This record gives sequence, structure tokens and C-alpha cells, in this order.
Amino acid sequence: MNPSARLGVPRSGQRRGRSTVSTLVFIVAAFTAIPASAQIDFSGEWAPRFWEDQLERVPGPELGDFLGIPVSEAARLRAESWDASIQTLPEWQCRPHSADYIWRGPSNLRIWKEVDPVSRETTAFHAEWLRSVDRAIYLDGRPHPPEDALHTWAGYSTAKWDGDVLTVTVTHLKEGYLRRNGLPRSDKATLTEHWIRNGDLLTVMTIVTDPVYLTEPFVRTTDYELDLRQQVPPYPCGVVQEVDRKKGEIPHFLPGANPYMTEFADRHKLPLDTTRGGADTMYPDFLTKGRTQTAARPAAPPSTAQTPGVRVLPVRGNIYMLLGAGGNITVSVGKDGVLLVDAGQAQMSDQVLAAIRRLQDDLDLRETPLGRAAETRSSVAARNSEPPAKPIRYIIDTHGDPDHVGGNEKLRLAGRTFTGGNVAGNIADAGEGAAILAHENVLQRMIEPSTGEGKAPPDAQPTDTYYTDSMKLSHFFNGEGIQLIHQPAAHSDGDSLVWFRGSDVISTGDIFSTTSYPIVDVKHGGTINGVVDGLNRILDLAVAEFRTEGGTLVIPGHGRLSDSADVAYYRDMVTIIRDRVQAMIAKGMTLDQIKAARPTADYEPRYGATTGPWTTDMFLEAVYVTLGGGKTGKTLPLPPAKPASGRSK
Amino acid sequence: MSGSRSVRRQPDYFVRRGHLQVALVLAATIVASPDLLGQARQGGAPPTARAAAPVDITGLWVSVVTEDWRWRMRTPPKGDYASVPLTDAATKVADSWDPAKDTAAGEQCRAYGAAAIMRVPGRVRVSWENDTTLKVETEAGTQTRLLNFVAPTQRGEPSWQGTSIANWQVAGGGGGRRGAPVAPPRGGSLRIVTTNMRPGYLRKNGVPYSANARLTEYINRVNEPSGDSWLIVTTIVEDPQYLTSRFVTSTHFKKVPDGSAWSPTPCSAS
Repeated sequence: MNPSARLGVPRSGQRRGRSTVSTLVFIVAAFTAIPASAQIDFSGEWAPRFWEDQLERVPGPELGDFLGIPVSEAARLRAESWDASIQTLPEWQCRPHSADYIWRGPSNLRIWKEVDPVSRETTAFHAEWLRSVDRAIYLDGRPHPPEDALHTWAGYSTAKWDGDVLTVTVTHLKEGYLRRNGLPRSDKATLTEHWIRNGDLLTVMTIVTDPVYLTEPFVRTTDYELDLRQQVPPYPCGVVQEVDRKKGEIPHFLPGANPYMTEFADRHKLPLDTTRGGADTMYPDFLTKGRTQTAARPAAPPSTAQTPGVRVLPVRGNIYMLLGAGGNITVSVGKDGVLLVDAGQAQMSDQVLAAIRRLQDDLDLRETPLGRAAETRSSVAARNSEPPAKPIRYIIDTHGDPDHVGGNEKLRLAGRTFTGGNVAGNIADAGEGAAILAHENVLQRMIEPSTGEGKAPPDAQPTDTYYTDSMKLSHFFNGEGIQLIHQPAAHSDGDSLVWFRGSDVISTGDIFSTTSYPIVDVKHGGTINGVVDGLNRILDLAVAEFRTEGGTLVIPGHGRLSDSADVAYYRDMVTIIRDRVQAMIAKGMTLDQIKAARPTADYEPRYGATTGPWTTDMFLEAVYVTLGGGKTGKTLPLPPAKPASGRSK
Repeated sequence: MSGSRSVRRQPDYFVRRGHLQVALVLAATIVASPDLLGQARQGGAPPTARAAAPVDITGLWVSVVTEDWRWRMRTPPKGDYASVPLTDAATKVADSWDPAKDTAAGEQCRAYGAAAIMRVPGRVRVSWENDTTLKVETEAGTQTRLLNFVAPTQRGEPSWQGTSIANWQVAGGGGGRRGAPVAPPRGGSLRIVTTNMRPGYLRKNGVPYSANARLTEYINRVNEPSGDSWLIVTTIVEDPQYLTSRFVTSTHFKKVPDGSAWSPTPCSAS
């Protein structure tokens, strides 16, 4: 018997026929089985080739060269004040290039991909440069984080395919720079990228949109070459004391005092005005027509629209942030109960309580059931029962403004204090409501308010105060120590920083904000120098996780979740404006002259306001007065209204 | 008798291999050209380059100069050839640049040749000359480039813009099972190879490329939610005489709504 026949192997003629059929089946299958998306592979080692702007990208740009960038007037002014020595500050020594700049920086690039093991689709690319953080670009359809989430150097990137072009959308960028000579890019910027691969060339178009420092999108294209022998070496970075300088000193040039701003124009025989850049300088018509109206187009103000109502943002572990209730509220929720840092506005208390209840509901307080019954009892009941929510135990007031303490009364009464033990005196009513902790000056202001201000109701007043440099909770709460640190004469004379020492989170009150210039409540003991000291204090406490981001998380009095780099940028800004006003005072300028000189001009699109509770003029008046600038002849920055539970601003 | 079995098997083997070869060639041809895939599905004559365009790059575009500003927006000084990988021979040529001499010799268009023209600031107008030829007109130097999708039968004399052969790179080709497309063709880019150029300048200050230079370009178009459209032109110049490695730049152009500002200018040597 033919062995082939016995084994069912077709004879040659049959094989030929089946071969042809299977080939046709292959062809049909190949062209009908079409998954959802095209996928070019960008993975590999990519070498930067400095065929464009080599002098800017490798040795570094020249000072005063703003050519070809659609910078706003604010960006120009800020760059003119920039002193390269600022890079020697501890906070900036290990700062990496941000996602938008790093394509243009002098770094090798490695791209690798994540592949879903089931679908085998590429779900993410990762990009890493010599001195960068791991930058993930997600293709799996996940959404971007809420706008209040932490911003990072790499930002948050999602992508979609457009044919063979990968289009990337980046949000949540920390402040960075458009050029390494002081031209800033704000943390309000977004970035779009288009990745294109042509054989062994990678071309990336970056489009930066920044309502603060750009008048038009800033577009660049950059090329990399596949280099199979390349290795991106490690780049650890250690912070050292590079320059001896006084604590808190920030290198910068006063307006008009930068001696290097004309060098570039002189060296290259360019008109000084041309070197100032701006949108006009990007277009060919600039060659013949010079500047036109477009250069004067003001930058759009950053969007301040917020989702109404109270928003909950997870911070770390059992620490959460409530936004939208006035000042930010920090919540520690756990098996010991709830601790709040600040209480928001009075009229938001119901929403705050509802948000806290949601957090409590999400927290599984149940003990893990045994999973078996003993001979004398069953575990069934335990499996189906949910212990009641733990009460609000503590409220810590960072200061006494009504948008931070307005909710004291209602939230306190919704809580509970456990009394007994070594408590002296009459404690019969001590258990009614949560304890309120604050520096004693907060209590003092509430019970002996200034003229025109009402006394706070008893249940809104702090129950436990301290007058020393700091105060610690007597015991762990929800698994960690909590410390109140008094910062004298900063936003007010009663400020506390609250440090969650296990979670490594600092709640700053109004010493730090990401939405406005610092609110200096002069009438209640605030000073600009106290604010600067407070910001430096936060930086002393904070430890970055990697390349000056992450690590200690900072919850500002207003605005988004932050870290030490965000505080450092803010500290730099406040210090620089303080120095400018001080220099103007030293020249004998009046407050009106100082306002007219606009010492905040470069930060105005980011932090300034002409209306609302804290205008730029009010800020300048506060800076002027607390630096000893003499009598203003005008009313000091005062609260616009007086709620019953405290002061307003 | 093994020899006789071998003789009998031989025709089967060759017939089978022949079928497979035909099938593979057919498959490879279709895979390599999604346009042909469409034709294979629909039947009929191959579409023209114009009809097969996976992306529309026609229209008026303006270069937005955010890179190499000092070397593009003005004539750089002699000897300033930063970023260009020049050979020693090239630096000698660049160092002897004399714009007056070029003008006198009628060579003032040296910096407007195909290898450089897309880097020269100005508007470009892209249109179809016919079904197989794209035309690129430039304000700068009033130049015209013809991008041929069908190779000319005669090479012709070298010119500033040389001879350009174009083909569409259709997105979605390959990548799937055994090289099959993983998605329907969607978008794409234009690839252009240009040779037969007269010697010219990569930059206006006499940084040279030779008659042996070969230019490869890729043109992509991207559209933004804001309504802006951009052309991205990746330019690769290879010149064994004057370049130590290939010289790659990428240049971007923004779509212009109308041609009212179109203002061609003649070549200028300085």
C-alpha cells in the first residue's frame, strides 16, 4: 500500500490542486481580514541629526534671539529679565526638557512600544531621551486626566492614527521654555504632534499652543535618523550647591537692565527690533513689509472656566482634594475618620459633605470576613453588612478667610470629637462636632474681628489652637503623622502649612496658588516677604521624586494639584516681582508710578486680573506697602464683603 | 530506481513552484500598491495619478520660518554654513562665494534650485499641470517644478529644478498578515526623487551642491482641529561631492485661504 494513501497524504496531482486553492485562499484572506487601524512602527533608536539650527540646539541659543517664534509681549519681557544663572538653583539643576522642547534638544531618542498580548495591537509608545522622564503616548483610547491633576514635564499624551501619521495630543504640561534663552512656555499650553516615518527617518511636527506666551501656534518640524548602534546612556542627576547665594535669592535682571540683550543683534547685524521675534518674523512677508498688525495681537487669556460644583481629585493614598468649594479642601479619609484641611465656603458645605460621603462610601471599612463559619456562629451576616461611615474628626484651618473657613460651622457639626481621658475642665459638650485646629491668630481674628467685620459664630471658631512654630497631632491619623507649621506674616498672621508626613502631601493654604498672584492680606498681618519665605519653606520640606517632579505633592489654596517644581516657578515669580517693586521704591517711585511701570507685565496673562477679588493693582499695593513703600493714599487691599463666619478677601 | 522517481517528481515540483511564484508575485504587486488593490477589486484601467491621489496637496501654501531663521530669512554671511555636513571641497567653494560674479554670469538662481527652493521663504502654489504631473510654483525666484508621475522619455538638459519623478506613498500598505494591508488605504504622502539638477546652493551664501546631487522629498499634509492645514516637506539631499552625509531638513507650509498676496520675485544672488 502506498504509504501516502495510508496516511491520507494526497498524491502529487491532488497536492497541486490544493496548493493552488490554498494560495488563492491566502490571497483572499489577506485582503479581506482588515483590522481597525494602520500601525507604523516607530520603535527604535533614533539619533538627532543637527541639520537644522545646530548652533541653537547643541551649544545653545544666543541671548536675545527670539527670531521666528510667535512670542507675546509678556514672553519677550520675561526673557529679557532671564538670567542664565537661575539654572544653578537647586530646583532647576535637574529639570529636563519638556515634551515640546525636547524634540529639538541635543538628546538621543529611544522609542519602544507596548503591545496588548491578546489583540497584539500597539497600545502605547514610550519615548525617552537622554535627560528626560519616560513619556508614554497612549493609543488605547483612555481619556486625559481632569484639568486639576498634576502637570509634568512630559505632560499626558494620547494618540490616534491618521493614515500612517500618528497624531499626538499632549496636555498637563508643566511650565517649560520655547527656547533655552529664557523664552517661557506656560503650563496652560497644549501640544499637538504629528509623527511621520519615512524609512529610516523620523520627522515630527510639534505645534505648541499657549494662550499665555504665544500669539499663534508655534510650529516646528524636526528629523531623527534610525541608528541601530545607538544606546541612550543613563543620565542620573544630582543637585549640588553650585553658587553661594543668600537663601531665597533668585537670579534675574531688572527690567531694562539686562546688558546682553543687544549682543545678538550686534553680532549678526540685525535690527534690534527684529531680534525680539513675534509672529511677524515667521512669515516671508516680514522680509519686505516688516512688522504688521499681527504682532500686536494680544494673547488670549488662559481659560478659567471650571466645572461647577465640587470636584474630587485623588492625590495619594487616602488623601483627596476637593475643588470648587471656594478654597481647596484637603481630605484624609480612612478608618480613623475624616480630617479636613479647610472647609470651603459656607454655601458649599452641603456639596462638600456629599463629596466626603462619596469618599467614605468608596472606602471599604469592612474587615475581611473569615470565609468560614465556626461551630457557634456564621460569617454570613458579616459579609453583607457595611459599617457606618466614620465621622469628620478634625478640621484644620490654614488661615481665616471665609472661602476657606466658611464651612467650619456646618462641617464641624456634622462631625464628632471623642473625649475623655486626661481632658481638664467641663467636657460635657466637647463631643459635639469635630475639632477645629488653627494657629491662635485665626481664632483671635474670629472672636475679635477688625472694624466692620462680624464675629464668627462659636461653632465656626477653632477649638484647638497653637502659638508656637508648629503643632503635631498627638497621634497618627489614618496611618500617618500630621503637622501644622506656622508661617508668620505670609498671607496673613495666622497661616499654617499642613504636612501629611506619611503621604508626603503639603496643604499650603493661600501662601501658594496656581490661579493668581499671592493674596497678601495686609490688614490681617500678611506681607510679601512672608509669602516668599513661606514658599521657600514649602520647598525646604518638599523632595522631588525624579528630575524635579513628583515626590512631595502640594495642594495649593486655589488651583490645581502641584509639586515642588510648580512651587519653585511660583516662588521665582513672586520673588522677581518683589525685587522689582523694591528697586522701584528705592528709586523713590510712587505707587501709581510703579503700577504704571507694570512690574508684573510678563506674568500678567498668567496670574493677573483687572476685576474680581484680587486684582493686579491690589497685589501691587500689598507688595508696595509691606515693603515699606510709604502711604498709598488709598485703602489697603481689603475684603470686598464680610460673611458672618470670618473675613473675606 | 530512485533516479526515475526523481525524474517523475520534477514536473510536479516546477509546476507547483510556478503557481506559487505567480501567486506571490500577484500578491506582492497588489500589496505594494493599494491603488492596484482597488483596481483589482473594481476592474478597469489604472487610475491616473491625479485620480489616485490619497491626499490633496494642491493649493496655496506659505512657509512658516521657525527654524534656521538666520540662514533662510536673510542672506547669511560668507562662511556661515552651520548645520550642513560639508566636505572640504564644499567649504572651499562656499568660502569663495561671490554673488556679484554669479549675477554677472547669469547664475543668480543658484540658490533657488530644487535642492534648496522649498527652504527659501515664500509662498508655493501646487496644482495639477495634467493628470500625471503636479506643478509647484514658488514666489521666491519665480521657479516652477514639475513633479512627473510618469518618467519622461528623454532626460533633457540639467536645469535648476532638475527632473522630478513622483509617486504616491499610500498609507496602510503592509503590516498585516504576511504583508497584507492592515487597514483600508487612508491618506498617504508624496515621494519625489529629483536628479539632473544644475549645480546650485543649499543656502544663499554659496553653500554648494553639485550636479551629481540627488534629492529625495516626502510631502505630508496634516489638518488641525483649528482649521489650519500644514504641508510637511522632508528633504534629503545626497551629494558625494559636497556632502559628507545626507543632508536632511524638514520644512512646513501653512495653507493660505486665497492667492491675493501671491507676489513672485525674481532670483537674486545676494
